[in-house]
Amino acid sequence: MAKKCTLLLIILLLAVIGLAPVVSMFIKSFFVDGELSFKNYQVLFQSKRQWILLSHSLALACATTFITVLLGLALGTVFAKTDLPFKKLFIVLFVIPLVIPSYILAVAWFYFLGRDGILAGLLGANVGVVTSRFLFSFAGTLFVMVSTLLPIVIILTITYLQMVNPRLEEAGKLYAGWPVVLRRISIPIVMPGVFLAGLIVFILTLGEFGVPLSLRFEVFPIESFIQFSAFYNFNAATASAIPLGLITFIVLIVERIFLRKKTFQFRTVEQEPTIIVPLGKTKPFFFVAVSFLAFIFVTIPIAVLLIKSFSLSAYGEALARGMDAIFRSLIYASIGATCLAAFGFFLGYVLERKALRFSLAADSLAIFLFALPSTVIGIGLISLWNTRATNFIYASMAIILFGYIAQYTALSERIMAATFSQIPRSMEECAQIVGAGWFRRLFGVLVPQAKYGIVAAWLVGFIFCLKDLGITMIVYPPDHNTLPVHIFTLMANSPEQVIAALCVIMVVITCLPLGVLTMVTKYIG
Amino acid sequence: MNKALIIALIAVSAISFLGSSCRRDVLPETKGVVVYVSEDQVFSEPVLKDFERETGIKVKAVYDTEETKSTGAMNRLIAEKNNPQADVYWANEPIRAVVLKQKGISTPYFSPNAEGIPSVFKDSEGYWTGFSARARVLVVSNEAKPPRSILDYTNQVWRNRIVIANPLFGTTTSWVAALFTIWGDDKAKEFMEKMKNNGVKISTSNGESTLLVANKEFTFSLVDSDDATNAIRDGKAVRQIYPDQEQDGIGCLILPNAAVLIKDGPNPENGKKLIDYLLSAETERKLALADCAQIPLHKGVDTPVDVKKIEDIKTMDIDYEAVATKLQEIQGYLKEWSGY
Amino acid sequence: MILKIDNLYKSYNTIAAINGMSLNVEKGERVVILGPSGCGKTTLLRIIAGFIQPDKGIVTVDTVTVAANGKCLVEPENRNIGMVFQDLALWPHMSVYRNLEFGLKAKKTPKKERKKRIDQILAKMQMKQYENSSPSDLSGGQQQRVALARALVSQPKILLMDEPLSNLDLDLNLMLRKEILRLQQELDITMLYVTHDRDEAFSLATRIIVMSHGKIQKVGNAQEVSQYLSGLSRTHKTDWKCADDSDIIVDR
Repeated sequence: MAKKCTLLLIILLLAVIGLAPVVSMFIKSFFVDGELSFKNYQVLFQSKRQWILLSHSLALACATTFITVLLGLALGTVFAKTDLPFKKLFIVLFVIPLVIPSYILAVAWFYFLGRDGILAGLLGANVGVVTSRFLFSFAGTLFVMVSTLLPIVIILTITYLQMVNPRLEEAGKLYAGWPVVLRRISIPIVMPGVFLAGLIVFILTLGEFGVPLSLRFEVFPIESFIQFSAFYNFNAATASAIPLGLITFIVLIVERIFLRKKTFQFRTVEQEPTIIVPLGKTKPFFFVAVSFLAFIFVTIPIAVLLIKSFSLSAYGEALARGMDAIFRSLIYASIGATCLAAFGFFLGYVLERKALRFSLAADSLAIFLFALPSTVIGIGLISLWNTRATNFIYASMAIILFGYIAQYTALSERIMAATFSQIPRSMEECAQIVGAGWFRRLFGVLVPQAKYGIVAAWLVGFIFCLKDLGITMIVYPPDHNTLPVHIFTLMANSPEQVIAALCVIMVVITCLPLGVLTMVTKYIG
Repeated sequence: MNKALIIALIAVSAISFLGSSCRRDVLPETKGVVVYVSEDQVFSEPVLKDFERETGIKVKAVYDTEETKSTGAMNRLIAEKNNPQADVYWANEPIRAVVLKQKGISTPYFSPNAEGIPSVFKDSEGYWTGFSARARVLVVSNEAKPPRSILDYTNQVWRNRIVIANPLFGTTTSWVAALFTIWGDDKAKEFMEKMKNNGVKISTSNGESTLLVANKEFTFSLVDSDDATNAIRDGKAVRQIYPDQEQDGIGCLILPNAAVLIKDGPNPENGKKLIDYLLSAETERKLALADCAQIPLHKGVDTPVDVKKIEDIKTMDIDYEAVATKLQEIQGYLKEWSGY
Repeated sequence: MILKIDNLYKSYNTIAAINGMSLNVEKGERVVILGPSGCGKTTLLRIIAGFIQPDKGIVTVDTVTVAANGKCLVEPENRNIGMVFQDLALWPHMSVYRNLEFGLKAKKTPKKERKKRIDQILAKMQMKQYENSSPSDLSGGQQQRVALARALVSQPKILLMDEPLSNLDLDLNLMLRKEILRLQQELDITMLYVTHDRDEAFSLATRIIVMSHGKIQKVGNAQEVSQYLSGLSRTHKTDWKCADDSDIIVDR
């Protein structure tokens, strides 16, 4: 009884926080000038131009997904399974682009590859022309999106590979070398994780407009953004956002069909260490290759930001201007991550254990909200919660948390579902049979078993909450801006050094808690 | 250990939640004012801090991003219409102020400090008052023989070397709408098509246009005067030209900031005091001296050498209300022109 | 001699899992290593398979030195050893057929030959009708047979079995023991079988090696070992200690 009530309550909360605002926006999208009409959708679907933009977005999303999965799988495998030197450093390095707002990354690449950029300065103006053309194109947009989203695939690949039962690999090792074992046993087993990573990358790319807009590659989400920002037409903007949700549903269905029979049992209860494959003579080759990728995807843009911010006064001014925002970002992201971990815990349980009849519907809801543009959710939150009766919510940081929960629950939910997949049901059943109630089983049995998953869900939630711009921009109470909001509001006409310094500070404040949590994880482990 | 960790996290969350201040309930009438600001934070924040220091009225601000980076203040104001959170809106150009008037979100206020401001820069019914203006100017790469008119956007000499900020957003939209009101639809559309055929590229903002010109990606762009002045003061290799200043020229578009009192805001009296402050000659002086280099509308305000006086500029002869109306009419055309 | 182990040592931190062990196994023998949990039997199998390396000592498989003094000289995939793991380790993403085919493909066996061998072994195991099934669709006993078939299909020189029947009920255990015996005799394969169960040891082995403290305590046939163990229980009662210092009661 307690179990069912708790789980239903969580789903209800997600529905109220996330779905209700979106539904209210969706209903309004069927009204034009106060009258019921399909005009917003007709205009959308009858426009050839919109179909072209949609194809651009799909092409970008598919290409980004393909490349990040390929690269990320390879890198994640090397980091998880081999004795590559400085592995931990490489992992931290590759995560950094995920922390930086993607628009800032695009600007950093502009400073490097632009016609008058750093590379042109080193190699000549003709090179600048070529690199500028590359950047301001589909290829350049793809490159920036890959560099931003690659960390997602790397992190999930590492997480899943470390869950693989070593006995399965050893059984393969009796017959074949490590390349064959990794290719035909380890990696196929972690396909659910790879698919999840691909799904997240696909959704994030599909909904991205900041980078394509600045690199002059036209994509579909711009339509929704134009309706909001240029025409203030919320109803048309919502209508324009719905196709993104529909496409995501289709991808979700494909994922479910493909993975239906592929939910594998991973590592057994005993904490056997992951088998590390010695690279032997190929170690220098792998080291050089990984270093090269790290240089391209991470070192260059970070170095550009550091060069641009290279003065103590810039950092001084950045800290003076941004100290409050920095502090608030950490607080809000921490609380947001905690809420997301909690929601993800219960929803992941519902999904993996099929604890309720509509477990798939709850997962679909979370994924749908993840796919929707933040502005739709933000405006929906305002329209629902900005009333005198609910002002105590709207006028507090709770509204920002609601935004985080609505937008990012899918991430923590899927991470927790993967975690629960490796905890046998018999663990809970055993506790149940000796008389432990639901909450005792939860805290006494499940939580200790799932602690690494909870920490992973918290970390991912923290990163996404910290770098969130779209939701926070729309709903934050006055004088409660966060660092990304602060960076973007300051961007217009502030000295470049100060903006670059704020971005570097953002990387630091993201990595510090990650470092602290790594230590906490070791302690509780 | 795990239980303790979870309880600690929940406790922290609860304390932070309770500790965060409410917008309306803890801002008694005499104590504060809420302002949404579309003017660049780097310029507007010092003015608001000065107001706070001089009056003792606590200012809580929501700043805006450039339009193409994210949705912001205008969307919030419109979405919050039924339960306004803001007292004042500091618009960075009057068209937005007109839109708020049309949507019934603003309320009239005739500030005593508005008296020195020319009537063309004020709403006759008091829904908004202009101050500290920007001009639409050409920012030009230093090496080039400079263009002098917006018509140079259609000059083959500059083919594929020109950029303009996205005409769906911000001051560029206002500029295009102004051209439509002056030239009429046909001539304006002809200009737009010629500009497009001349290979004009679209950037995300005036700031980005300025940066692209400074980095020699393009030769010139029409931007706001604060973007151009800021780039020059920052040591970038560009110059600023006020277009169409000849006797028979159409003049350059002037876009003042606009102070707007929000209808049913939580602190209306403090809102009026803030508007009075914004409309003062002293504020105009500060904004002229700052890197935004904005043009005072009051006569006799001290300005630095590189900031033109309003009386020295041939301005475009327009009615902002008509421009706002025209803007809404041409939205579909602009969308198509931009390729969306 | 198909397997020779010379003076083997292996420690984990300060605990000696194998503490100076030497062993020779002739072709076709069924050697059972009997000992309580934690006494080094599984470690011995894993060293022979090549998954871990001994700190000291030499391992020779069919006259080829495969490991010596901490170094792996021949990788596991080149030792031609089959193994049935305690948790079976059937690959969940492959059908029964593919599980068996994996090793043959890796060794570049021609397709026809692969099919022939797989069909033969599945027939022997009476599992032909399950060749397209997923391991998760099979019962415990059926999974055991598939694991055994997988280990045998590549015709290894030595078959290692790490307590393969420990999780089965008595009836199934007895039935599979008979199958293992039958197959071993039919294929004349050298078998090294690890168990803590005396009855299994006595029924399967041509030679039993009793292990404790990482050392061989007794080598002999079923009768000799039985007498030895009875003597142990009379004189030492329950003090058969292991590497992890836990007291194990010897089965009577």
